[in-house]
Amino acid sequence: MSPELIKDDETMVTREDVENIALLSKLFVPEEELDGLTKSMQEIIDFADAINNAPAGDEGFDNINNLSNVFREDEVVPSFPVEEILKNAPEQAEDHFLVRSRE
Amino acid sequence: MGTIAKIHEMLVGRQISCAELTQRYLDEISAANGELNAYVCVTGDEALAAAEAVDKKIAAGEEIGMLEGVPMSLKDNMSTKGILTTCCSKILTGYKPIYDATVWELLRDKGAVLLGKTNMDEFAMGSSCETSCYGGAANPVNTAHVAGGSSGGAASAVGGNLAAYSLGSDTGGSIRQPASFCGVVGLKPTYGAVSRYGLIAYASSLDQIGPVAKTVEDVSLVYDAICKPDKRDSTSKGGSETYSTLNNDIKGMKIGIAREYLDGVRDDVKEAVLAAAEVYKSLGAEIVYFDLPILKFALPVYYIIACAEASSNLGRYDGIRYGYKTAHYNGTHDMICRTRSEGFGGEVQRRILLGTYVLSAGYYDAYYKKAQNLRGTIIKAFNSAFESCDVILAPTVPMTAFEKGHAVSDPIETYLTDICTVPVNIAGLPGVSIPCGFNAKGMPIGMQLIGKSFGEAEILNAAYKYQQAAGENFKDTKWGVKL
Repeated sequence: MSPELIKDDETMVTREDVENIALLSKLFVPEEELDGLTKSMQEIIDFADAINNAPAGDEGFDNINNLSNVFREDEVVPSFPVEEILKNAPEQAEDHFLVRSRE
Repeated sequence: MGTIAKIHEMLVGRQISCAELTQRYLDEISAANGELNAYVCVTGDEALAAAEAVDKKIAAGEEIGMLEGVPMSLKDNMSTKGILTTCCSKILTGYKPIYDATVWELLRDKGAVLLGKTNMDEFAMGSSCETSCYGGAANPVNTAHVAGGSSGGAASAVGGNLAAYSLGSDTGGSIRQPASFCGVVGLKPTYGAVSRYGLIAYASSLDQIGPVAKTVEDVSLVYDAICKPDKRDSTSKGGSETYSTLNNDIKGMKIGIAREYLDGVRDDVKEAVLAAAEVYKSLGAEIVYFDLPILKFALPVYYIIACAEASSNLGRYDGIRYGYKTAHYNGTHDMICRTRSEGFGGEVQRRILLGTYVLSAGYYDAYYKKAQNLRGTIIKAFNSAFESCDVILAPTVPMTAFEKGHAVSDPIETYLTDICTVPVNIAGLPGVSIPCGFNAKGMPIGMQLIGKSFGEAEILNAAYKYQQAAGENFKDTKWGVKL
């Protein structure tokens, strides 16, 4: 293998990584889709690995346009009524969002 | 003359009533939408009610504003009280916001007539509009081609004369790329110029709302109406007026071309952009070439930051407070996982996974932190580029609109279409895409003018002067309302 093909900064994405990331993301990946997704994640991570070749800058990044924090008077204004907030809920009961333990 | 000015003249001159005009738009939408799929929700009753209010004012002899009574549309990720807002995702099935986005509040107060909500890639993640749960929008120039994305419906509606203008949102090119594909004008304002309150978030440090319209004058008028500071968005600063300086002389203006922006760009696109540079020379502008080598890292930096922010922003969809909820589950964790896996499409899930990955322990420093660091370097590089030029000229997209179905097959190749647009979002700068010709197949080519932070007036001035000099680039399509 020619030396330029060996990359020591290469990141390997494993099936276990994808399972773990899916759990953290609260996504349910069916067993039969795991291999395909692992391969696709590896391709995207290889693409993202390009930044390892970038010059190490020392510019920190805080925010765009040097926006500074915005302060305002702490005025009391009306909140949304409970019934408005609950309007879009799939289920509700007694002025609360309802989540059943199983369905 | 711009579309808005023309409508204004027609209304004030009583050549047509606002209700009649609105009805014509609604009729054309029902005739064309089967093929264009630009709209995912049409608000006919609300539109006609708003139009009648404008007609009453005109009948009473009251003066009306430029945007008053002008039929327009909003991308489906902007909150509209009581009107379906789904981000074209199954997970927001049936969601009707209980408040209005600031941009819609501002336009509605100026008498805008909302025709409906336009199609988009699911949660604005995509470059062809094909990740929409309603199916993609077609390109009005040639319906075998995509409208682009993510604001594909906005560009398709405007190009197809199904709205005088439309608001889109741009996180990595989502206004400029579809505008380029459909042969219309699209402005991505400076980060902070337009309030994001009520815009359903994809990547909060990159998202920005802006107008899509037929001409530079239209885009300028709409931008001037929405660039207001907003207490409810702590990153909003407001922008400054652009319309009165559109026609300023550009003699001596320095227009920069970064060589990197022309790398890997299709020949027909490159030729059209370089021909536009010649037009600028004939208008007395000076063309300056320079290098921006850091741009080659812009795309991975963009995907790392955008996905990281998306993975956090999209954490709120849990099936409890709004939208879709799974039918069968066992326990809360299972309910949330099933709801999200059934509700989000493949591309959205892929980006949530990537974002979670780059933020997780062990990878945070190598990806997220490094990307943020490079973001600082890219901003600095743009700042020094603007020491030697006033605006930067570049292609909007390296190619013209691809055929339907082409983008879905290869995610990385699709990401590459954003290569010329993402640097502007990373640096928070304004960018406008305007048509600059057609390729051999008759598909529109777009060019991009990039400005300094809050330099909207300068880029729109340059865009307007070009449009005046090269008017024949604005070919009309067979669809919609002919004024």
